[in-house]
Amino acid sequence: MKASIRKLGFSIAGLVLLVVSGLSFYESRHLKEPVVLSDGVTQVMKLSKYFPDIEGTANDCNIYVLEGKEPGATLCILGGTHPEEPAGRLAAWLFAENGVMMKGRLIVVLSANRSATTVTRVGGAYPPDFIIPSPWGGQTFRLGDRWSNPLDQWPDPEVYIHYPSGQYLAYLDSRNLNRCWPGRPNGTLTEKTAYAFLEMIKKEKVDVVIDLHEAELQYPVISTIVTHEKGQELAAVVSMTLTDLEGFKMGLEFSPKNLHGLSHREIGDYSDAISLLFEAPEPFLDATRGKTTTDQLLTGKDEFVVKAGKHGLLFEKIDEKGWPIDVRVGRHTSAILQTMASWTEVHPERPLLCDNVPRYAEVIEKGIGKFLQDPAHGKPGRVLFE
Amino acid sequence: MDMTTYALIVLGVMVLFYAGAKLLKLSTEISMFIAAAAGCVAGGFGFSARHIAEGAMTYLDINLIFITATLFMNILKESGGVAFVVRGMFRRFRRQRAILLVLLTILLLIPGALTGAGSVTVLIAGGMVSTVLLGLGVPKVKTAAIVFIVAGLSAAAPPISLWAMMTAAGVNMPYVGFFWPLMLPCLVAGLLTMFILGWRGAPADLERALEELPVPPAGMNWLKIILPFVVFLGLIVVGRTWPHETVVTGLPLMFLCAALTSYVLSPQKMDLFQISQKTIEQLLPLLGTLTCVGILVQIMTLTGVRGLLAVTTVTLPVALVFATLFIILPVSEAVLMWGAAPVIGVPLILLFNTMGLNPIVALAGMSIIWPLGDALPPTAIIGRLTVDVTGYQGSYGQFLKACLIPAVIMMIIGTLMVVYSKQLGFLTGL
Repeated sequence: MKASIRKLGFSIAGLVLLVVSGLSFYESRHLKEPVVLSDGVTQVMKLSKYFPDIEGTANDCNIYVLEGKEPGATLCILGGTHPEEPAGRLAAWLFAENGVMMKGRLIVVLSANRSATTVTRVGGAYPPDFIIPSPWGGQTFRLGDRWSNPLDQWPDPEVYIHYPSGQYLAYLDSRNLNRCWPGRPNGTLTEKTAYAFLEMIKKEKVDVVIDLHEAELQYPVISTIVTHEKGQELAAVVSMTLTDLEGFKMGLEFSPKNLHGLSHREIGDYSDAISLLFEAPEPFLDATRGKTTTDQLLTGKDEFVVKAGKHGLLFEKIDEKGWPIDVRVGRHTSAILQTMASWTEVHPERPLLCDNVPRYAEVIEKGIGKFLQDPAHGKPGRVLFE
Repeated sequence: MDMTTYALIVLGVMVLFYAGAKLLKLSTEISMFIAAAAGCVAGGFGFSARHIAEGAMTYLDINLIFITATLFMNILKESGGVAFVVRGMFRRFRRQRAILLVLLTILLLIPGALTGAGSVTVLIAGGMVSTVLLGLGVPKVKTAAIVFIVAGLSAAAPPISLWAMMTAAGVNMPYVGFFWPLMLPCLVAGLLTMFILGWRGAPADLERALEELPVPPAGMNWLKIILPFVVFLGLIVVGRTWPHETVVTGLPLMFLCAALTSYVLSPQKMDLFQISQKTIEQLLPLLGTLTCVGILVQIMTLTGVRGLLAVTTVTLPVALVFATLFIILPVSEAVLMWGAAPVIGVPLILLFNTMGLNPIVALAGMSIIWPLGDALPPTAIIGRLTVDVTGYQGSYGQFLKACLIPAVIMMIIGTLMVVYSKQLGFLTGL
């Protein structure tokens, strides 16, 4: 009798835990993130346009096209390859909500691995979402994870063997979009997603693809551009110009030829596009971080990471000022705008020029929220959801 | 309040509640859950249902591997397959002690290597191997020590080494290149243990020992034992040879296929439901531990306690870390069981990686030392299980004493692998 009562008690407690946590997981998976389209957005498509198999899946994301007033080259920004690196998504958001292309064409993706935006890392204690304050209140964004949601792709293989190189990778990385390039049409959801993007890049004749990321300070590839050999000249000019003119250090690294599945390697190898990957510092990802909170995520302040830095264990400096999200997003917007400018210098006949997007100094001065548009005041038909 | 003080307070609360729960004789997994819940509240996050549920899911895949692999082993045992193998080996080699000891070592290594759990080795093969060893005249205390040590090594052996898998996952490192760095030391230490403790012994009545071994059912043969393994290995080979033409099955389904093959081939009728039920009952403490370790790690990460431990570890003098590995690892295992891997293993691997050591070989070396903690209180689950299964009735202290020489060997091998991991990097094949 006593044992039965105890079992009943545990079952009820388990049920309550299931319902309460389940509601939280459901809400974050279905949280709608508004996008108030800039006047410069001329077309919004679905990724499935380029690969119908992706239709109806979590990864059939929106593709925002900003057609320039004058013709030119085409540049594509991939935000949300790793949603837990929010500066990438937010920088892309500023382009979709503010950008106006004067010359050339811009394709913006806010949730490249949309499935990964709908889950947080088990064991990582991530907050489900975060709020960027704005003059009109603030906007909530899903935090997400590095890997596609297991609800959308499971089980993982015993070992992940990259297509087509045959390179062995961790089984988890079969759900990592930045280990699945160039993808394949009959693969997993994440591989199909990479394949769909590559189809888009080919069909839209994209000239430059920029994949936006952030990295822990204990990771050697940080505060840098990683470039395919096709983009070495462009990336070198961007790196030097940013360091000289904008006041922040931007390194330059070359995509290793034998490291497969990454966008900077495979997009360059399997399309005509130049592929670049930008990394900004994100102390939230460091294993030595202190409390795992949205405050830490957005301010980038962390005593423990600073201590690790004092012992020479980091590849990027950090002090009590941390790495605020405005700084990280500003690095990305400036780096993208500088890429357009440097491209145009080399290819004046096919220019790229974007207006109305804040650069590094302006983002830091005014904050990202200043450039997020109020969905309540969006024009009819010009507010979409991610 | 600065972060260090805050995290120290939360850590203090967690330790207090863990110790209190243990004093009340609650199980390790419940004690860990209570410590995690108390830490969550003390950290100002209240009783966060989301974090507790999410943490509980951390090792879901590993739990599924655990269940299906153990089901496979249990079906093999119930069908009389294990008895057939042990009896066959004993009958053929009972007068060739060296060969028999080598075969017994391999037999003990297989269940844990496939499942990642030393307890499965003890439960599946421990009893029968101890009968053989006693038949060879090995004293009971040494027999128990052999079963415990080799079972621990089997848990560290590839393909499934939970310590290595959990630590690798914690630092975003692929679980690739671990096969030889884990296999070689496990084999060497296993054989040394078997020969050091099992070589001497006045031969007892071999015929009587043979009689004591369970008799396999009529119709059992080598083919029926090997085929399920062929199915399992076949699925792995097919998946690796034609990865892009094969449906992703995952390890749990592969083990399930092997289990069903063994079930179908069994010469005697078995109650699958009953074996499944027994498997879950047998694994419940371990599944509970893994689930609660996930919750504990999630709350430690949430409150910065994991960060505190990590930053403290990575900023320690390196010589001190090397010199104390043989204490830190078994003690952390004794307190946290597999929780030791994400809590202590992750910062250590970060440190070794930063120092330019080979993280795969270093982690393999650490994985050899960790199992020793399974004989130590407060948990000592596998140590006590071994004592029960082998029928040793002397003092637990004497049992620990018998484990000392192989334990020192494992500590030396493990520590040397960490220190010289860079030079041993070729073992990874990467």
